Amino acid sequence: MTSSEDVLLQVGPVRHKKGDGTLYVMSQHVAFILNSSDTVAISHHYRDIKMQKISSEFKNKVQLQLVFHDETISLFQFTNSERSEAMRDRNRVKDLIQQLLPKYQKQANKEFGEKSRILGENRMLFQLYQDLVITHVITSEEFWSQHVPYHLATQSKVITQKTGVPNNFLTNVTVKSDGTKKFNLSNDTIQCIFKTYPAVRQKHIEYVPHQLTESEFWQKFLESHYFHKDRITTGSTKDLFNDCAKLDDNLFKNEIKDLSKNKTDCYVGSIEDDGSDDNINSISEEKSSMANIVHENIIKRFNQHSMMVLKTCEKSNLNSLPNGNDLKVPSNSSNLNGTPDTALKRLRIQEKNGYEDLNPEAETLDVNQKKLKLSRVESYVNCLTREHKHDNTTSKLSKAREVQKSIIYDVNEWSKTTSNQVIEPSVAVNTLGLLTPGGSLMKGISDESASLAQLVPVTVEKDLRQLYVSLGELLRHFWSCFPVTTPALEEKLMKTHDSLQKFQNAKIKPFEDQIIINHGQLNQLTNHLNLMLHTAYNKFSVWHSRRKIPNIL
Amino acid sequence: MQSETPKKIFSSLLVIILDVNPAQDTLLSGEIKLSSILSSVVAFANSHLMLRTHNKVAVLASDPNSCDFIYSDQDELDFKKKTVSSCKMGGSQYELFSHIDRSIKFNIMKFLKDAAEEPHMSRDTVFGASCAKALCYINRLQNNLYPGETMNSRILIISGCDNEGDKYIRCMNTFFTAQKQNVAIDVCSLTHDVTLLKQACYITEGSYFRMPKLEGLLLYLQWIFLTEPSSRKKLVIPLAPQLDFRPFCFCHGTLTAIGFVCSLCLTIYCKISPICTTCEAVFKVRSAIAVKPKKKKIKTTSVNN
Repeated sequence: MTSSEDVLLQVGPVRHKKGDGTLYVMSQHVAFILNSSDTVAISHHYRDIKMQKISSEFKNKVQLQLVFHDETISLFQFTNSERSEAMRDRNRVKDLIQQLLPKYQKQANKEFGEKSRILGENRMLFQLYQDLVITHVITSEEFWSQHVPYHLATQSKVITQKTGVPNNFLTNVTVKSDGTKKFNLSNDTIQCIFKTYPAVRQKHIEYVPHQLTESEFWQKFLESHYFHKDRITTGSTKDLFNDCAKLDDNLFKNEIKDLSKNKTDCYVGSIEDDGSDDNINSISEEKSSMANIVHENIIKRFNQHSMMVLKTCEKSNLNSLPNGNDLKVPSNSSNLNGTPDTALKRLRIQEKNGYEDLNPEAETLDVNQKKLKLSRVESYVNCLTREHKHDNTTSKLSKAREVQKSIIYDVNEWSKTTSNQVIEPSVAVNTLGLLTPGGSLMKGISDESASLAQLVPVTVEKDLRQLYVSLGELLRHFWSCFPVTTPALEEKLMKTHDSLQKFQNAKIKPFEDQIIINHGQLNQLTNHLNLMLHTAYNKFSVWHSRRKIPNIL
Repeated sequence: MQSETPKKIFSSLLVIILDVNPAQDTLLSGEIKLSSILSSVVAFANSHLMLRTHNKVAVLASDPNSCDFIYSDQDELDFKKKTVSSCKMGGSQYELFSHIDRSIKFNIMKFLKDAAEEPHMSRDTVFGASCAKALCYINRLQNNLYPGETMNSRILIISGCDNEGDKYIRCMNTFFTAQKQNVAIDVCSLTHDVTLLKQACYITEGSYFRMPKLEGLLLYLQWIFLTEPSSRKKLVIPLAPQLDFRPFCFCHGTLTAIGFVCSLCLTIYCKISPICTTCEAVFKVRSAIAVKPKKKKIKTTSVNN
């Protein structure tokens, strides 16, 4: 295991645990090989070494002590017959190790910090560490290499809660067209583009950085038809993103097919109208009605964009949900045999009948439902508990406690009595006064019109109804003359205008007079009739004044 | 032989939620006695039953800790079992009415005594829970209907508390459930204008009414709330008050005109925060917003110079 490393220093003879051998100082390890064998007896990695100690100058034995992080000690005795030689050997080893140690110690410290952070954050891991490592059930290395990653992985699965893609992310790409175009693409926006348009991500992987630089790629993307609103795919232009558009079209078509299979969603219909196969095909054929095509294209793109944005949310758990494909009925089979249809129907009926919330198994089966993970469920449900009102609340609560007793007493008394007066006559009269039209509670209610319904006698109402019918008929003829394009219409207009005036004089005026005589006041009964008449008169006079001018000229 | 078409029966279920919270201002100040509210409610329940023979009524008492039925179909069953023998008191009164009277009197005492055992930690009556309970009750009766029977259901909340914004989401969820179930929620508030309950009425197309004075409760109830919401349009009754549509923010519990909503859990904030405190989703605050204060600083410094 240490053979591939460079041997920096080789010192011998050295004694370690009553065995003579050679000490090797290598780039990553300190190793000791017994004279009697070829295999490495001991090998210590520098990162395990906490520090080194040397015996004092005056001691008999020339020794080097390696202290490890777990407080164990390894002792090497330099047994050269010449004491000075042994000292020299030891000092060379000491110096070299001193050089090498700090590099690894820094790393060790960093790792140590990281480990303590993990242990600090995770109580369960800390408990495990205490139970297993400190009691020497397993080594620290084993613990960190095998046990921790598993727990961390299972834990991180629970936490992830992604935010979706904002619908308007492309608007953030501002374009300044003052001579030179300038695009601002933030990293977020790029991620959003990747999420919504997987085809672009594919392109990005293919081209960057082998054929284009990052900035060149995005410039091309923004300039291409793919980004611009009129994405008419003509095969002639050599565009990087041409096939992207085609891919998207295919995806979109498939999606529409899937959606039209189960028409439970209400927004499906609108997509269908705009993006059905006929429309997509017709785009390339009818070049005459360009404007129309552009409109269709825009609507299609909007729909597609929305669809893609929505799909980004589903994508994240699509892989883990095998049931997602059950809804997609293959297009061929639905025509040949009726089974997929019935299956769908059954599904739909099931949806209507069953309460998924109440079924514990439904949780695992549900495809589209994503669970919301809340860190503070209490605050989500309760909105919040306000502290600043607290003192007021406590005083009221303590008072309420006193009041409670009197309430119980009061209700107890009440429950014993057999008959009681619920409301005093004077109070009842007052209340009635408030509630009847004209009372203070009835402000803002147009009491004329409301009371009119009660005031008007049946005969008057009948007359009024008749008036409305006839006037409506006249007005209909009057308004149908507009716009006046032929002399015949002009003649008719003049006639109806006359008849309107006649009607007002012959019918409405006498009716008003009669009401005033009989009931004293008009009560705005004919307001609406007159309003309609005046609108018609105004229209006529406007038309008349305009019409006269060409006659004079 | 022509088979007889099943007889169509229309009925109306009224669930009254009565706030008996001793911490509500009306009871706290002693302006009105709970007994007088109760007798009005009993009279109102009876008048609802009088409108149609198949009409049903249920009464829920509610306080900050709990809510429970003080009159429900269970009590009605008791009445049917006992039949005529139970009418001892008030010989002139219709048996069912006196039964309702007695049941409510008995049950409310039980409820109040139970409530007194446990001190209240909050002042706010649990409207969300009581509405949910009422909706469950309505749903159960709806499922037990005979063929050809139709039942309109509504909830009437009578309260004198000033519950503002606490347990907002919980209440709102039940109100929207009521809307889905076609159950109108009417509110008769004794003193305060309660935004939360106003919103409940608006959502479910019920009526909201605040009493101008603490008297004549029965008359207001009968005048405004006795008719079904569908036929109220044809009556001359006080207009619905102006409604405040602003929601309560989660961070300070204040009404906010412009709120920032977490797209994941729909938590409302009155200020932008990059991390949602409820679901811990991290949002990227756009740089445009962060730039603004800088500009201001520059301006002020230039003025100073």
